[in-house]
Amino acid sequence: MAQTDVPHVSVASERLQLVIEALSYASVDEFDSCLSLLQRSNEKDEFSELETAFSIFVRELGEAKAELNRALTQQEAANRELEAKLETIEMQQAAIRELSTPIIEVWAGVLCLPVVGVVDSQRSAEMTETLLETIVAKQARMAIVDITGIDVMDTKTADHFIKMARAVRLLGAECIVSGINPGIAQTLTHIGVDLTGVRTLRSLRDALQLYLRETEQLVVQQKSHFARRESEI
Amino acid sequence: MLREPSRNAEAGRLSTKSFPIRGRSDVVTVSSHAGRLARELGLDARRAMELAIVVSELASNIVKHGVRGEIVLTFDDHWPPQGEITVEAHDVGPPIRDLALAMIDGNDDQGPIDPALILRRGGLGTGLGAVARLADRVEYRDEEDGSKTITARFHRR
Ligand SMILES: Nc1ncnc2c1ncn2[C@@H]1O[C@H](COP(=O)(O)OP(=O)(O)O)[C@@H](O)[C@H]1O
Ligand SMILES: [Mg+2]
Repeated sequence: MAQTDVPHVSVASERLQLVIEALSYASVDEFDSCLSLLQRSNEKDEFSELETAFSIFVRELGEAKAELNRALTQQEAANRELEAKLETIEMQQAAIRELSTPIIEVWAGVLCLPVVGVVDSQRSAEMTETLLETIVAKQARMAIVDITGIDVMDTKTADHFIKMARAVRLLGAECIVSGINPGIAQTLTHIGVDLTGVRTLRSLRDALQLYLRETEQLVVQQKSHFARRESEI
Repeated sequence: MLREPSRNAEAGRLSTKSFPIRGRSDVVTVSSHAGRLARELGLDARRAMELAIVVSELASNIVKHGVRGEIVLTFDDHWPPQGEITVEAHDVGPPIRDLALAMIDGNDDQGPIDPALILRRGGLGTGLGAVARLADRVEYRDEEDGSKTITARFHRR
């Protein structure tokens, strides 16, 4: 029980100091410095067994760390590649959004065409064609073309746009162009576009409200019409 | 949003960016990229959008009429803004037979497009007209190898 019963190892304090120093290198991942300190003494005694054990442990730790770092680097490269791919996909998605001109039927018979992005002659031709076809297919009464997102068009493109709005009327529907901003207004006046037959409103909200008001009136008129008929009977 | 181009770039050193035009999504990508770049290089919003439109017209012409083309943007990113931004549309398809004719609105390179066909052919025949209206200068070059380049220039004032 007494301490004296247990065999003791005595060791020079410098060697102990060396081991402590070595381990402090290991703690900051400097495994080579650590190992060279641990191997510095040439003594072969019981304490050197501990030093050897530490050496083995530290070497393995160093290898494991290096392996981990390699894996991390690979992971980072993979992540970067993934990011780049995602970016490409996002760019293509944006392109698709712009290329496809969505025509939304907001109410039965009311079409809305929100235009965003760069409008060149090609897109203008496609959009107008699609709109006219959809009006016929859906037997729409009204088409709202919202160009809030567009600041600039070439004069010929703008001209074509307005011609389309007038063509809508020829198909028996009404066309409202909403969100004309100062840039486009300037272009239109500059080329002296004839805006008869085309209603323009400040915003998409105004256009939708106008539609609601007009259908309400229509309902009221119809109601009073029926009421008159009934009283006549 | 606006990035100030590097101040220490040497004056007169031109940067270029090229974009292969393989299909329609490339048209949108290059034109929106060009618009953003023009803003960064000091063009005002309207002018930058006009440049984007020109790039879009030239790129869509490569898809529609050309063969294996690219758009090359060249600019000086020295600050303050100086020089010009050039848009070069290059493709290896057949030459434009008569550029002056093709530039007239409603024409292709052989003359007026039949109005009855305009809707079905996809495009109004006003693309090159728009390029001429919106750019400060337009040049056309038939290359020795049979390819061709249309260059549109935008001054940075
Ligand atoms: N990259 C090109 N390669 C060959 N021909 C071209 C090219 N770009 C334009 N053209 C010719 O110029 C004409 C006018 O072009 P443009 O004004 O853009 O009208 P659109 O593209 O609607 O035909 C085209 O119809 C075509 O004949
Ligand atoms: Mg064209």
